[in-house]
Amino acid sequence: MIESLQHLMNGFAIAGTIQNLLYCLIGCIVGTLIGVLPGIGPIAGIALLIPATFGLDPTSAIIMLAGIYYGAMYGGSTTSILLNVPGETASVITCIDGYRMAQKGRAGPALAIVAIGSFIAGTISIFGLVFLAPPLAEAALAFGPPEYFSLMVFGFIVLSNVTGKSLVKSLMMAVIGLIIGTIGLDPVTGDARFTYGSVSLLGGIEFVAVAIGLFGIGEVLVNVNQSSELLDQGVIMPRLRELYPSLQDLRKSMGAILRGTVSGFGIGLVPGPAPVIATYSSYMIERRVSKHPEEFGQGAIEGVAGPESANNAACQAAFIPLFVLGIPFAPPTAILLGALLIHGVSPGPLMISQHAGLFWGVIASMYIGNFVLLILNLPLVPLFANILRIPKRILLPLVILFCLTGMYTVNNSVFDIWVMFLFGAMGFLMRKWAYEGAPLLLALVLGPKLEVAFRQSLMISHGDFGAFINRPISLAFLLATLLFLMVPIFRIFFKKLRKGGVA
Amino acid sequence: MKRDEIIVGVVIFIFGAVTTVLSLRMHIGTFRTAGAGMFPLLLGILLMVLSSTFVSKKFFQGKGEQAGKEASIESSESPMQLILFLGTMILAALFFNRLGYPLTSFLLVLGLLRILGIKRWGLNILISVVTAAGSYFLFIKWLDIPMPKGWIGI
Repeated sequence: MIESLQHLMNGFAIAGTIQNLLYCLIGCIVGTLIGVLPGIGPIAGIALLIPATFGLDPTSAIIMLAGIYYGAMYGGSTTSILLNVPGETASVITCIDGYRMAQKGRAGPALAIVAIGSFIAGTISIFGLVFLAPPLAEAALAFGPPEYFSLMVFGFIVLSNVTGKSLVKSLMMAVIGLIIGTIGLDPVTGDARFTYGSVSLLGGIEFVAVAIGLFGIGEVLVNVNQSSELLDQGVIMPRLRELYPSLQDLRKSMGAILRGTVSGFGIGLVPGPAPVIATYSSYMIERRVSKHPEEFGQGAIEGVAGPESANNAACQAAFIPLFVLGIPFAPPTAILLGALLIHGVSPGPLMISQHAGLFWGVIASMYIGNFVLLILNLPLVPLFANILRIPKRILLPLVILFCLTGMYTVNNSVFDIWVMFLFGAMGFLMRKWAYEGAPLLLALVLGPKLEVAFRQSLMISHGDFGAFINRPISLAFLLATLLFLMVPIFRIFFKKLRKGGVA
Repeated sequence: MKRDEIIVGVVIFIFGAVTTVLSLRMHIGTFRTAGAGMFPLLLGILLMVLSSTFVSKKFFQGKGEQAGKEASIESSESPMQLILFLGTMILAALFFNRLGYPLTSFLLVLGLLRILGIKRWGLNILISVVTAAGSYFLFIKWLDIPMPKGWIGI
């Protein structure tokens, strides 16, 4: 433990040089700006700027790219709150309560709590990284395909339970997302599925197109469809003193931030798109522990504080499998892995001993990056919140233009723009009939991974489904899934029983 | 509302059925060595089960139980604005490569502002020019992202 602390101190010395601080600052600023643009999330942001780091030494380069990663994650949350446009998957859940808060004139507190929650989560996570990294990385290795499959099934059920009012509707959306996720090349055999000769479909349906379509374009179309009076109504604008969270907001958020940090950190270590699962799990936990679960979905600050803290903690924890095992479990860390390789660093079990300066320097820079983001973004809250002052009649065309531009920049493909419009129309209809977009989106992201885990598990077990229940971790997840499915049924049963008893 | 819900449920059922049929045309294999069609086939069947549960639930649900349970968005007095808005978006995507990014962004914003009721041409053109120029410098000049140049060539 003492040794780890010493290494961390050395890391701070490396990350704290003027040069590296500057790169961290540049990374955070550029990342935030990129994250605010719909469509250009952390993946595109890092990819676009890797060439800019070629002239730097590996430590400075990774510090700057990690800064872009965090900045873009934060920027993505900003657009989720203000415009209901998630910059990347992990921000989808922030749309639910963050956007409602903005509509009620509470964009400022929502934006500020993201920065505060992320900073607290970052502070706690760094200690987790230092003391728990080696044993937790070993524990993560215990996850094989069956555990991975059961965890994802659990994730779907949890998410379907927390979003919307109808479990069946949410589950249908999740299955539709999984089906859409099968379009493209079969991840195991490489056969083309549902592509019908289209080269554009071989790579599958672009996630960003679905995300911007369902949430961003869908929301714009809902607004356009409103009567003229409603279009002019706009959102309630906050007064200056309401731009930052009140003491009551902070008190409400503190528990959510701490719970989000702990759950997010744990999930971040597990193979899979950790930030996405972490945000959904945190949201679910907060709704369950809340004394006012009915406020969730209507602008509850805990619904923003918890998931955003979980997101940050999971992002930090995701560096453990990347650095210690050399396995990136999420697209942004995969791009960072590419950057490491370009700079001649091969992550793996020997990385801590062979590139100690780089490893601990980056760990320390994460903390510095969080601090920079806090002091950078808190003063910017009024500026961002003022975006909502722009009349809807002017704001909506601008959102469409940025969605279109952002979408094109992902693959330089007009086809993606068509997909985005298609899902925009679908998002509009889904709102009309009260269907939730979040389960569909999560299923689209996790679908290919779920399929691979499912098929690998059955290959290993020679087609025996017992593989999912004979392994304790997998069984635990499946039992938890069953419990989650049974809870609403029991609730209805007992409600009816009580009604019958009273009558 | 109840009728709409049932229709949507039936549409989802059809989607599940089509997925199932199309999956059967692919190699299914066994559980041990699953082919490309196995996973979508299982999903198609699952979707059919879920949608039939949903439809039958809605069908047997009492009127009073349904009322006020689920929120839906208010529909506009005139859907013309939405149709024109969507049409302009589609035109922008259609001519994106031919017109190029700066011109498409200018015309798109100009058209959408007009449809949303910004009738003063001076203000409309000013917003469109500033937005098109701003996004041109941001994406093409600063971020160096390759965008269609179109016939104007910038």
